[in-house]
Amino acid sequence: MRRLKQLNEVLGRVEKFLIVVMLSAMILLAFLQIVLRNAFSTGISWGDPLVRYLVLWVGFIGASLATKEEKHITMEVFSRWFSGKNALYPKIFSQLISVFVCSLLTFAGWTFVQNEARMGEAAFFNIPIWIPEVIIPVTFALMTLRFLINFAAGLSLVLEPGGFAPRGDKT
Amino acid sequence: MILLAVLLAVLFLIIGVPIFVVICGLALYLFFASGIDLSAIIIEMHRMATTPALVAIPLFTFAGYLLSESGASRRLIRISNALLGWLPGGLAVIALISCAVFTALTGATGLTIIALGGILLPAMTRAKYPEVFSLGLLTTSGTLGLLFPPSLPLIIYAVVAKVRIDHLFIAGILPGIVLVVLLSVFSITRAVEADVPKTHFQITEVLSALREALWELPLPLVVLGGIYSGTFAISEAAAITAVYVLLVEVMIYRDIGWRDLPEIMKKSMVLVGGVLIILGAAMGLTNYLIDAEIPKQLLELFKTHIESKILFLIALNIFLLAVGCTMGIFSALVVVVPLLSPIAQAYGIDPIHLGIIFLANLEIGASIPPLGINLFIASIRFERPVLRLYVASLPFIAMLLIALALITYIPWMSLVLLK
Repeated sequence: MRRLKQLNEVLGRVEKFLIVVMLSAMILLAFLQIVLRNAFSTGISWGDPLVRYLVLWVGFIGASLATKEEKHITMEVFSRWFSGKNALYPKIFSQLISVFVCSLLTFAGWTFVQNEARMGEAAFFNIPIWIPEVIIPVTFALMTLRFLINFAAGLSLVLEPGGFAPRGDKT
Repeated sequence: MILLAVLLAVLFLIIGVPIFVVICGLALYLFFASGIDLSAIIIEMHRMATTPALVAIPLFTFAGYLLSESGASRRLIRISNALLGWLPGGLAVIALISCAVFTALTGATGLTIIALGGILLPAMTRAKYPEVFSLGLLTTSGTLGLLFPPSLPLIIYAVVAKVRIDHLFIAGILPGIVLVVLLSVFSITRAVEADVPKTHFQITEVLSALREALWELPLPLVVLGGIYSGTFAISEAAAITAVYVLLVEVMIYRDIGWRDLPEIMKKSMVLVGGVLIILGAAMGLTNYLIDAEIPKQLLELFKTHIESKILFLIALNIFLLAVGCTMGIFSALVVVVPLLSPIAQAYGIDPIHLGIIFLANLEIGASIPPLGINLFIASIRFERPVLRLYVASLPFIAMLLIALALITYIPWMSLVLLK
């Protein structure tokens, strides 16, 4: 469990790095295209498709980080009224559901990438289109892992005698 | 079976399962049940995430987060104070305008109450406004400004309903102003009744406040000018805004250091990721619903029970307020818009006007008891019991509902600037 948590932190740092690089590239490239178009009536042909794929990557990595930080948008009608240990049960249950759905999505994403690879289209720079698309199953797998970690952490909190004592070595 | 799946989905939403998980789960089940390959949902997500106009979402959101972390809100309050502080109820009007601008820039995600509430509530208390009044004003202002560009819900509505973002941006301006003006008038009358002391108008303070915010003042022009004049597409306006805000806040004002940028980028993209994945999930579900002709069946159901356009609009308002109160703005947009927009069109409602109706309803619904999200955010931020906020926000909700009636039943307000 501790190893898993360390891995989670390392992955989180990699993802943050990717977001910083890709968002910066997105801003610069999108801005450069405007300057080129208006000042020189030209543009980079691979610029727009690249920007679109940057959005795809940044979006899915953002969603993966949202899972890590438990910042996904929820309705939370329940938890607005419950607090303390009672709020923990629906939370653990919802994480279990999320593990299940995200693992299905990982599988669906993998099938999607395989199909795209079989079609053999190219995105830009003659890169096969499935390469930028591989981020979809990868981030869904990460989300599955993170929901699982959160689920395990919540479960150990409930099972632990004394409940909310500072987390010891058991986790 | 399908009904059972839908009920189960609602139950999961209520106990707090992430919205994207519930929507994806439901879509996966429906695809599976009708023998469609599960990767169909990924195809929809991929198609949605690579839509050209979608580039605007990360760029505007990043710009909004930069502004919210900078001293822009302080400068905005200072300028409004210099210009309006001498009015009776001036500070209340300042609070309304600041909240509206802030919400438009940061995308109505609860940030307004958290970021501005902490400055404005003590300021209003010091200026001798009754506490109930201040609490109500700040709670209901948490989503005020949602109709002003470049707010995230406006962009999302345009993407989901497939209408032009630039048209929606322009359509929202007048109804947005009506909401702010109506609340301002109400606040001024209340301030006069409560005999709140006024400050003096000082031209030197106005000038120095203007000079301080010199670089931020052209921002509305940067966002809207290019779109309005037709020079720039929405994604280009977003790129220009992001670059402009970056230059101004990091290099000119230096409110934000280069070292802070990665954290702000990450924070804003976590929000973008959370929103995009719901959008993608909803696209998958919507495609199934359209294939199964659910909107068509709904339309027939509507046609047999509701005959006139006015009656439909009344039903729509009640329904959307309830949805805004319970579901929250983002999930309501992606789930309800595809189902209702074909029906509304059959009743002869302009798609752009419909968008403004939708957003105004959801904006107000977010403050309506018992479940409006603003009430809960305010309860946490101001450390007051939710019940007290219910009572405090009621008069403001009444004013907002009047504005909503105007927006709904006078399409002219939404459409006049487009002509």
